[in-house]
Amino acid sequence: MKKLLFTSILVAASILTAQTIKGSDTVLPLSQQEAETFMKVNKNARVTVTGGGSGVGLSALIEGTTDIAQSSRKIKFDEKKKLEEKGAKVKEIIIAFDALAVVVNPKNKVSNLTREQLEGIFTGKITNWKEVGGEDLKIVAYSRETSSGTYEFFKEEVLKKKDYMPGIMSMPATGAIVQSIGQTPGAIGYIGLAYLDAKVKAIHVSYDNGKTFVEPSVKTAKDETYPIVRPLIYYYVDKSEATVKPFIDYVLSAAGQKIVSDIGFITK
Amino acid sequence: MDKKLAQKIAFWIFRILGVFVVGILLWILGFIIYNGIGVISLEFIFDAPRDGMLKGGIFPAIVGTFCLIVGSMIVAFPLGVMSAIYTNEYVRDGKISRFIRMMTNNLGSIPSVIFGLFGMALFVNAMSWGDSIIAGSFTLGLLALPLVIRTTEEALRMVPDSLRVGSYALGASKLQTIRYVVLPTAFPNIVTGLILSIGRVSGETAPILFTVAAYFLPKLPSSIFDQVMALPYHLYVISTSGTNLEAARPVAYGTALVLITLVLIINFTASFIRRHFSKKLGGGH
Amino acid sequence: MRWWIEKIVEKIFAASGMITTVVILLIVIFLFKEGFGLFNSPVVEKGYALCVNAVNPVEHIGSTTIKKIYNSGIENWSEIGGFNEKIVPFRFDDIFGHYKEEEFGENYEKLPEKLGEVIAQTPGILAFIPEEYLPKGVEGVKILDGNTVRPEDFFLGQEWIPTSTPAPQFGVLPLILGTLWVSLIAILIATPLGMGVAIYLSELAQSRVRDILKPTVELLAGIPSVVYGFFGLVVLVPMVQKTFSLSVGETAFTGSVILAIMALPTIITVAEDAMRSTPRAMREASLALGATHWQTIYKVVIPYAISGISAAVVLGIGRAIGETMVALMVTGNAAIIPKTLFTPVRTIPATIAAELGEAPHGGVHYQALFVLGCVLFLITLVISISAELISKRQHNKGL
Repeated sequence: MKKLLFTSILVAASILTAQTIKGSDTVLPLSQQEAETFMKVNKNARVTVTGGGSGVGLSALIEGTTDIAQSSRKIKFDEKKKLEEKGAKVKEIIIAFDALAVVVNPKNKVSNLTREQLEGIFTGKITNWKEVGGEDLKIVAYSRETSSGTYEFFKEEVLKKKDYMPGIMSMPATGAIVQSIGQTPGAIGYIGLAYLDAKVKAIHVSYDNGKTFVEPSVKTAKDETYPIVRPLIYYYVDKSEATVKPFIDYVLSAAGQKIVSDIGFITK
Repeated sequence: MDKKLAQKIAFWIFRILGVFVVGILLWILGFIIYNGIGVISLEFIFDAPRDGMLKGGIFPAIVGTFCLIVGSMIVAFPLGVMSAIYTNEYVRDGKISRFIRMMTNNLGSIPSVIFGLFGMALFVNAMSWGDSIIAGSFTLGLLALPLVIRTTEEALRMVPDSLRVGSYALGASKLQTIRYVVLPTAFPNIVTGLILSIGRVSGETAPILFTVAAYFLPKLPSSIFDQVMALPYHLYVISTSGTNLEAARPVAYGTALVLITLVLIINFTASFIRRHFSKKLGGGH
Repeated sequence: MRWWIEKIVEKIFAASGMITTVVILLIVIFLFKEGFGLFNSPVVEKGYALCVNAVNPVEHIGSTTIKKIYNSGIENWSEIGGFNEKIVPFRFDDIFGHYKEEEFGENYEKLPEKLGEVIAQTPGILAFIPEEYLPKGVEGVKILDGNTVRPEDFFLGQEWIPTSTPAPQFGVLPLILGTLWVSLIAILIATPLGMGVAIYLSELAQSRVRDILKPTVELLAGIPSVVYGFFGLVVLVPMVQKTFSLSVGETAFTGSVILAIMALPTIITVAEDAMRSTPRAMREASLALGATHWQTIYKVVIPYAISGISAAVVLGIGRAIGETMVALMVTGNAAIIPKTLFTPVRTIPATIAAELGEAPHGGVHYQALFVLGCVLFLITLVISISAELISKRQHNKGL
């Protein structure tokens, strides 16, 4: 009670547009830059950005400890249920799209893989590059931590919901995967398009058993020829609409969407 | 084998080991300083992060760490000092004091990540303080408690009994003796312990992961229920996440250097005070 | 009046004296309270149940079996003691592929009915559906009894896949072994180094050198672990990978080296104190008998100080086991049972730090992490108590 009084006084006295954004590490750099520029325009605004993974953000939304949950996957059925049990209606705003690139070390000769081969590699059925037309080299598969939406999306989309092999290398953040794959000859991993740089090589992926292989890029993702594309979403509950509206409007504005493409995501 | 020769060989091995270990320390420090010194500027220290946290400074993280230091010491210091007074002045050698000491040691050996778990369960969830300075301060305060107690106890033990006896002889009560004789004499060393605990608290990452730390919050906190950025957490996220790790490296080196400098200054201050005053105290009796 | 104040203040002091005990109790209570529910939780995700066709004779399915079925590791019911029928794994979301959204009614009130239809029509089905939509009482549908997570599956299980659906796998064996493995190697590296430096400091170094070295070593202890982790990440990981031409640089060994450096100050300081407390008379007696300084060290000083030294080593292990940030940043975090020095490992503290934020409060995963916390707590408690017992032996000898 005391706390409530204390905070409400504080809130009333100083800032009306304080809000927290929590969740996906993929959306983190985007939210961070959006928040940064938003606060430059609106001097009174106070936006806190925290990572932890899409699951973290959504459970924080359920607990009521964040205003916006940033997510790189759709809200799950039971997460939605839990919110409804608390009497809240969840709102969903897609702020951008992201393509997942499968990447290997630049020295790797393999540059085309089918979805089935990817499934084999990440579930541990294929363990050597020579099985998919490369040299005799052990495959080292990198994954994100289980909390990340990227982990779940890749699992659903590419592994068709099968589990990753036990003992897959799991990295706390995407940046660390890029770093490690750049250093490791036999490595393979998946990263958001925004993280793609010269240290790693993007694999051309085929979803039609090897008929066509498509390179991940903003262009192929936009014209939907590249298959592994997902929405980046802000979730909030209708009660806090007034608080979060200005910020979300900003993200969807031309200025906000420019940041989206600057970072390497795909605009709406 | 000639035993003189054996001794020579053994001693040289030890000397080399000594140099080796110190070498490792200097290597780590040198590496961070060498890579970080170019990043340090007034802007880096007194500005908020900009441009996707690749530019600007780390001021909010410094302030956040400072808030956590102050908050955790408000929790740990009075409790720790009173606890040490009790074991050392009231029940010095009894079963109770042995039990308390054992518990203090045990608490001190609990890994910091457990404090994080506990802090999240109790302060963030059960007390519903949420991720906040107050939750982080309590978590870190409890973590620092054993260190405060141990150093305070040592400080109290260094006060010669003759002073206590003298005070009693003058008709002072126990409390008066503690208040006017023991505490003032032990004060510098108690402060040393306090400073050492600050050093420990300022570098902890695991306990604040789920109790207070924010990834990006350029504004300074306005209440104890706000989240803050903190130096160690900032170093962790900036060295493992972000779209471009290479571009973020300078900021990481700079943050590491600021963090190390902070901790080293704190520890140097502590050992300086200790040496300065232990001479005084030693000379006095 | 004054007497009262004295009494009250003493009581306040006494109460604060108990603070550490209270905190430990609170930690124990909260860890166990939050983790306690784990072994009462069903093996399938909470709020969900498994259904089969009524003709199917199978009554129970264990958690690893469920996982294998949904990963196509088991494809026929006969493999798990059922009838000869291909298993058709069915997830709740699949229902939306069978019917149009409108057919479920406005508030999904027809959903159970439709689910029942699908299950009744498919003899080999294993359906994973939310409890509130269970087709109860529908003919042709059998709801399986939910097993609960068994302690032996938890402590002896070899797979840690906490987000596997429908049956998360909580085998902590790889995590426990990973933690012990990293700490063991760390201590094997740190002990000889630390002992050497301790001997040098206590026996050989001139006081001027010692006055410089000792604070330097203590400074090592002051550097925050995240800085060590950062150093390990940018320097040691690539270095280990190149030197041993490995496929990955994030290995148990990399973590151990950093942990060893972090354990050094503890070992050096405690071991040095123990050696310096060797009574002068004993040393002089040894020297007088014609022993060299070195013989005196290893025949008199070290045996005398051995329990202090062991306590130092044990404390060092304790510190290594609980270390979080270094393990998180440089060991690769792969939950496999370590077989060599150069495999990646996942330690208990790193697992807690990496996953706690994600696990929904009160869920099975959350509980499992708190039980992991209990395990870690007990391990370090045992270590701390044994260190205390060992160093007590030293004290008794000193008297």
